[in-house]
Amino acid sequence: MPDQELVDVIVVGSGGAGLRAAIEAHDLGVSTMLISNGVAGKSGATMMAGADITLDGAGAAEIGLPGNESDSKERFFHDIVIQGYYLNNQRLIEAYVRDAPARTKEMIDWGMKYIWDGKRAILTQGTDLNQVLTDQIRRRHITMKNDLYVTDILTHGKTVAGVVGIDINKGMVQAVRSKVVVIATGGWQRAYSFTSAPGGLTGAMHAAVYRAGADLLNMEMVTFCPNVILWPPALRGDIFPYILIEMFGDLLEKHGRPFLRDEYDPSIYRIATTTEWNKLIFSMAATKVVLRGDGSPRGGTYYSIKNVPLNILEEAEKIYPGWKWLRTNFSDLMNWLKEGNAVEVAPAAHYMEGGIAVNERAETTIRGLYAAGECSGGLFGANRVASAITQILVQGAIAGKSAANESKKTPLGELDASQLKKIESRHTRYFGQKDGPSAIDLKKKVRAIADENLWVIRTGAGLKQATAKLESILSNDVPRISIKTQARTYNKEWIDAIEVESMAQVLLASARSALLRTESRGVHNRSDFPQTDNRRWLREIVVRQVNGKMSLTTRPITVTKLKPPRVRFGFEEGLISAVKELGE
Amino acid sequence: MIKVRVARFDPAVDSSPHYQTYEMPLEPRMTVMDALDYIYENLDPSLAYHSHTSCHRRICARCNVTINNKAGLSCHTEVNGDLTIDPLPRFKVVRDLVVEGL
Repeated sequence: MPDQELVDVIVVGSGGAGLRAAIEAHDLGVSTMLISNGVAGKSGATMMAGADITLDGAGAAEIGLPGNESDSKERFFHDIVIQGYYLNNQRLIEAYVRDAPARTKEMIDWGMKYIWDGKRAILTQGTDLNQVLTDQIRRRHITMKNDLYVTDILTHGKTVAGVVGIDINKGMVQAVRSKVVVIATGGWQRAYSFTSAPGGLTGAMHAAVYRAGADLLNMEMVTFCPNVILWPPALRGDIFPYILIEMFGDLLEKHGRPFLRDEYDPSIYRIATTTEWNKLIFSMAATKVVLRGDGSPRGGTYYSIKNVPLNILEEAEKIYPGWKWLRTNFSDLMNWLKEGNAVEVAPAAHYMEGGIAVNERAETTIRGLYAAGECSGGLFGANRVASAITQILVQGAIAGKSAANESKKTPLGELDASQLKKIESRHTRYFGQKDGPSAIDLKKKVRAIADENLWVIRTGAGLKQATAKLESILSNDVPRISIKTQARTYNKEWIDAIEVESMAQVLLASARSALLRTESRGVHNRSDFPQTDNRRWLREIVVRQVNGKMSLTTRPITVTKLKPPRVRFGFEEGLISAVKELGE
Repeated sequence: MIKVRVARFDPAVDSSPHYQTYEMPLEPRMTVMDALDYIYENLDPSLAYHSHTSCHRRICARCNVTINNKAGLSCHTEVNGDLTIDPLPRFKVVRDLVVEGL
């Protein structure tokens, strides 16, 4: 192993939250290193976002946008709690609504292109967001380390001493020492086969902080994006039909019937076609259609624009000239749809409400360890409707500030050589093992468990099965993985081996949390417990490692202002009452 | 069945690149990335091509390779028949199709 580098603050993850955290830490005068498992600016989920930044109307007016001044931070706060089914940590929402205008203004000042929607959202594109933030990083000459796949947090006693991972191109284990560490690595969508997220989002850092002893929170909460393209392969995983459905078109079952419009209350159909409630509602409805046998041949439903008048499409094309969105030209698809065809779409793993437990200063339960953005848990409770882009900007800046301030009063932790050696031999053992399972097969096996048992609608029996299978894989299969390829530079089997270990650990945390939560709430739906139960389950689920074993506990939700009603309700009933409460 | 000819090169061991040819089934509208995944998963796990943080959406462009003598993104280029895949020219090769600085 080469000599370790030393910095004050390490930020792991180069999506929006990591970029924003690194900017903040650097500007507070501490040496900062941004580590990416890919390349900063070319990896992470931010670049692929739709995207919008949400803030309250009065806050928008404060920063010079024509916002509605009768809106307020209090109303925005209230709505996020209702949307999150009261599971949110309300202190995190307070920070979100408080800082959203300042973070938005800063992005505009840095040159982000945008359209203000007149209500609560600034529309932009993930590619532009990413570019603006990456430019700010370059301008500051912040040190970047690319293709370093961080797998573990180094600790010294109860504090942080740095990180360690695999330098993928060099093919060696590499450590970087620091006083504090910020984790900003997004979700773990790639633990599923079908996802809208890019490669690399496999939960490696969720697993790392769990192994280091920090708490994971509400890991059962997974949002699915309902109309993601299943076929052709070149467009598989693309969310463009999801972007379109807010303007026009509908999802159909195999007889061509628009199931949401036909089978649900009009108020549910309305919020599903006009707000980001669409993710939860369409995913649930589409999954029920597939389960009753009315899905498409590839196991999804159909997105159609057959009944949309051509001049309405022409108007919409002005927003996406030539039907180009992000970097893809969808004109072939749009022409095919205009001819009356329907593209097969399905729910895809899309956003994680749960994650690393943090407080409003982005502190985890380990001193010197911070988390920001999607990898953290608690802000959106059981269902996200407000923007995840606002989340990465607000929480990224908070984490960068907390980390910088802490690093100023912390000495550099000593390197525990035996800890480092243990991690190194955990990663390199796979090369010496001859007859074990292949990481390629194991990855497929692990993803199949997620696809089958941790999908949109869960059952107790399925979750028990998933738990048993994952426990067996972690104790019997992962330690015996055999890598055939001896070259260590860009060794895909090695990458798969480290990914499958973290995927299995994170999925186990998710399956066990989902099994423990014997109710349905927001995106977590149990067919054996269909009611949302505010009498018993206004509780967070915490996962932590105790004496080498995964342990689950529950604790009351964090309430500052809005007290939840002690009631029980079913899925549709809950949606209808939420619509009323939100005045939508 | 199609023949996929891939440039193999490990700078630590080889003095120059050589081609290796794989035979595999052609699926309707499959992409070059699908073909490389098929080879890696079924025929030869030692093949190196960028995919660990690939976006599959033409955004990151890290899966850029030379396909039948023309640069193209493996995630979006559809396969119609036999293929020859090389790394992008003028980049330093890490191994096989993976290059530095992309």
